[in-house]
Amino acid sequence: MANLREELIDLIAEEALIDKAKLVPGATLADLGLDSVGVVSVVFAVEEKYGVEIAEDAFKDVNDFGSFLAVLEGVVETKRAA
Amino acid sequence: MIPSRRIVVTGLGAVSPLGLGAQATWEGARDGRGAIRPHHLDAGPHAPDTRDTPAATIEGDLLGYTEAALGRKIGASLDPFALMALGPAHEALAQAGLIGAEVLEDRTAAVLGHGFAGIHTLEVGYERFFGQKGTRMHPLTVPKVMVSAPVSAVAIEFKIRGPVFAVSSACASSGHAIAQGAGFIRSGECDVAVVGGSEAIVTPCCLRAWEGLQAMSPTTCRPFSTGRDGMAIGEGGAVMVLEALEHAQARGATILAELSGVGLSSDAYHWTQPSLEGAVKAMGRACEQADVLGGESVLISTHGTGTPLNDKNEAAAIRAVFGEGAQRHPVIATKSAHGHLIGAATALQGVIALIALREGLAPPILNMIEPDPECALDLVLGAARPIEAQAMLLNSFAFGGLNTALAFRLWR
Repeated sequence: MANLREELIDLIAEEALIDKAKLVPGATLADLGLDSVGVVSVVFAVEEKYGVEIAEDAFKDVNDFGSFLAVLEGVVETKRAA
Repeated sequence: MIPSRRIVVTGLGAVSPLGLGAQATWEGARDGRGAIRPHHLDAGPHAPDTRDTPAATIEGDLLGYTEAALGRKIGASLDPFALMALGPAHEALAQAGLIGAEVLEDRTAAVLGHGFAGIHTLEVGYERFFGQKGTRMHPLTVPKVMVSAPVSAVAIEFKIRGPVFAVSSACASSGHAIAQGAGFIRSGECDVAVVGGSEAIVTPCCLRAWEGLQAMSPTTCRPFSTGRDGMAIGEGGAVMVLEALEHAQARGATILAELSGVGLSSDAYHWTQPSLEGAVKAMGRACEQADVLGGESVLISTHGTGTPLNDKNEAAAIRAVFGEGAQRHPVIATKSAHGHLIGAATALQGVIALIALREGLAPPILNMIEPDPECALDLVLGAARPIEAQAMLLNSFAFGGLNTALAFRLWR
């Protein structure tokens, strides 16, 4: 689980060109410069890497990085448990 | 050209199969290091079996080179054809001493030429859609594919806020980009123009398309040689900084050369067969403007694709323009080393030939079996040759009959 979280943070940093040190739970997506295209780019990268499909409305109530990461983690773990 | 506003070159940049950077590219051409070799391109499980295709690709760490030059991460945010423009733009602007300069804010144009667009991104997207039946495309597909992506990337990176756009005319695209940038300076609208082009089409499907045109060599590119059987695709990008002479002098810039003639023409004749008249018209205009027909030696950087038709037509056009003195001019054809960069070809060959002019050394034509008697010219063969030329003519004759000829004069 901790490994998956680290992997996802690395992937987000790489895909969205964000300094890894800024990817902390309390940061808002706006603070990180993650606009709607940025979010979809990250989602796309996660889908490609883990072979999952993430619903388009999965982030409709998500504003902070911690929640964003939790959604991604949840989808990947669900796939792994299946 | 209107003599009141002279245009000079103050910066050069390139990435190519010969090296990362203008100097590395020049050294590869000078030393006759051919970069065309067989490539096996795997298009994935949904594509037909592929075969080896001769092509010239960039072999170094292009992303690392560009990120180091810009001092920031780029990652996968750009298609290779945009990446291949950014590094050369940085190199050329740095050589010109214009990174961060105020003139970029308003009085600078950027015009880049490309024959194609983000083909790498497009083919990956199509494979995902048609092959994997993926329901979604990558969200950056459009900004990565669009033909203006490289010039937007350059403008955003260096804060160039004058006229900025892309032009396309197949193999003459960057020739037209240079001409367009020169026009902005000549008209007085701008003082500086960042011009050139990039191309990245060494991809499995695109190479098959080129083969369908029956213009690709199954072996290598042999310009002006007997037994020549077509072109070989290359990839890369090249950029020049053009500047109004008085602007360059006022800020104490090092002037590399003067752009002294621009000849543009259209054959209006055939998709793939060149016309003598179109080539002669473009070359003649450039040479007359630059006043290089008085008997002096001119370095001629030919379009020299290695197709039977182009080289024969181009040789005839050179003889028609220069008359009995045609044999006086050293002729080079560097596509034999770096392949045909299509939309970036003119700019890359211009960068190489301008350095050749400054070094007084013409790079050799590679892969020669023996000179074709129908292409009787003073071909530079074997090894780099010392030259006396003070001027250079840069030819491009594109499919669809779109021609550019640019004349440069060494600045002393």
